[in-house]
Amino acid sequence: MTPATPTLLRPTDPADVSRLLAGARAVAGGTDLLVQRRAGAEMPTLVDLSGLAGTRPAVVRDDATGELTLSAVHPLTDIADGAARAFPALTAAIGQFASTTIRNRATIGGNLVTGSPAADTAPALLAAGAVVDIVTPDGARRTVDLADFLLGPRRVDLAVGEWVTSVRVPQPPAEGGFRKIGGRRAQAISFLNLAWQWHREPDGRLTGVRLAMGSVAPTVVRLRTAAAALEAQIPTQDVVDAAVAVIDADISPIDDLRASAHYRRRCARGLLREALLPPSPGERPDQYVTPTTREKNQ
Amino acid sequence: MHVNGDPVATPAEADHGLRLLDYLRDHLGLTGAKEGCGMGECGSCTVIIDGRAITSCLVLVGQVLDAEIRTVEGLAAAGHGPLQDAFVARQAVQCGYCIPGVLNSCAALLDRDPDPTDAQICEALDGNLCRCTAYNRFYDAVHDAAAARHPNGAGA
Repeated sequence: MTPATPTLLRPTDPADVSRLLAGARAVAGGTDLLVQRRAGAEMPTLVDLSGLAGTRPAVVRDDATGELTLSAVHPLTDIADGAARAFPALTAAIGQFASTTIRNRATIGGNLVTGSPAADTAPALLAAGAVVDIVTPDGARRTVDLADFLLGPRRVDLAVGEWVTSVRVPQPPAEGGFRKIGGRRAQAISFLNLAWQWHREPDGRLTGVRLAMGSVAPTVVRLRTAAAALEAQIPTQDVVDAAVAVIDADISPIDDLRASAHYRRRCARGLLREALLPPSPGERPDQYVTPTTREKNQ
Repeated sequence: MHVNGDPVATPAEADHGLRLLDYLRDHLGLTGAKEGCGMGECGSCTVIIDGRAITSCLVLVGQVLDAEIRTVEGLAAAGHGPLQDAFVARQAVQCGYCIPGVLNSCAALLDRDPDPTDAQICEALDGNLCRCTAYNRFYDAVHDAAAARHPNGAGA
């Protein structure tokens, strides 16, 4: 059944949002919220945040500190364009996020506020040490570490009447990435995902190693034990084996409709190994890429 | 709000919360966009909003009052007649339900990149499900259209 048509309020000035949010819910890309609404969630009044995208850039880089400010209300396509080389882990995550049509609409704000342990933008942001900028009902600002913002499945530190305006990360290092495992390549909720960032010193040692994994705990979590095993090490086979061996200490996966805890533990080890020692493209076929008829015929 | 290049009456305020898909179909009579899943998973309602392929089931019409919207009905006028011809010539259409969305995803890609690779076509279609499994023909048709639109270019 099609739910009743909601009242849609369309602020064009960020200063008006808090006032309108009284008794209403915020919608930006709508790619999750409108699915919840279709499933029966009541939301008679919605406040559109997507119209605020025209009032500011998607990504701002502070030239002095390298800090990135990512708009919470822009489509992910704009975030990926704006952060292209500056934040490789997030750009990679957006590249594997849902589908082109969804990336053209979905926002970082929505992805975080929905509080899914499988959210694909969260690991890169958590690994990078992101803070969430929140506007309170009286129009004031508060800032909370993303690690504290994510409270549990579908639970975040956002009170009624508050909205997320941006997410900031300290300058990410040049090396970072993201891998996920899902039922298929597109439109798949992650069984497991991993984001990483580190500096590679001239002698090959990794420093500032930061890892975050999704769908292995009530929230996206940092892999602190595994990262400690890698810190200041050259990622040889032995070092990688040692880091992979301790990953169980960082995660607490459960059996759910998408995957078993056992499978997730195995995949966690595999993802970390692949992040550190990436398989070369020719080494084995990518299970997801099947050649087209034309390619087969060539 | 412009649809297929023409200004359309601004939706009444009480209708701002309608899905764009419903507004196009029920208010403007543009029934090319189809509802499949209603959850942004299948892509059959894909239209082009300000140059980007987007599932119209997850957009409220009040969110796009200032936008340029293209539906399958306006593709030929936007220069994508050759794409539609190529879909016919390659017999890329079977049941046809997904095709308006597929065409819009391909058209948005061609507007971005006039001579896309297979990998780019694959990515552009990652939100469009076709259960008649004509994807290979989609690829061929897009390459044909690219060549037809740019006869002196590299082409497929």
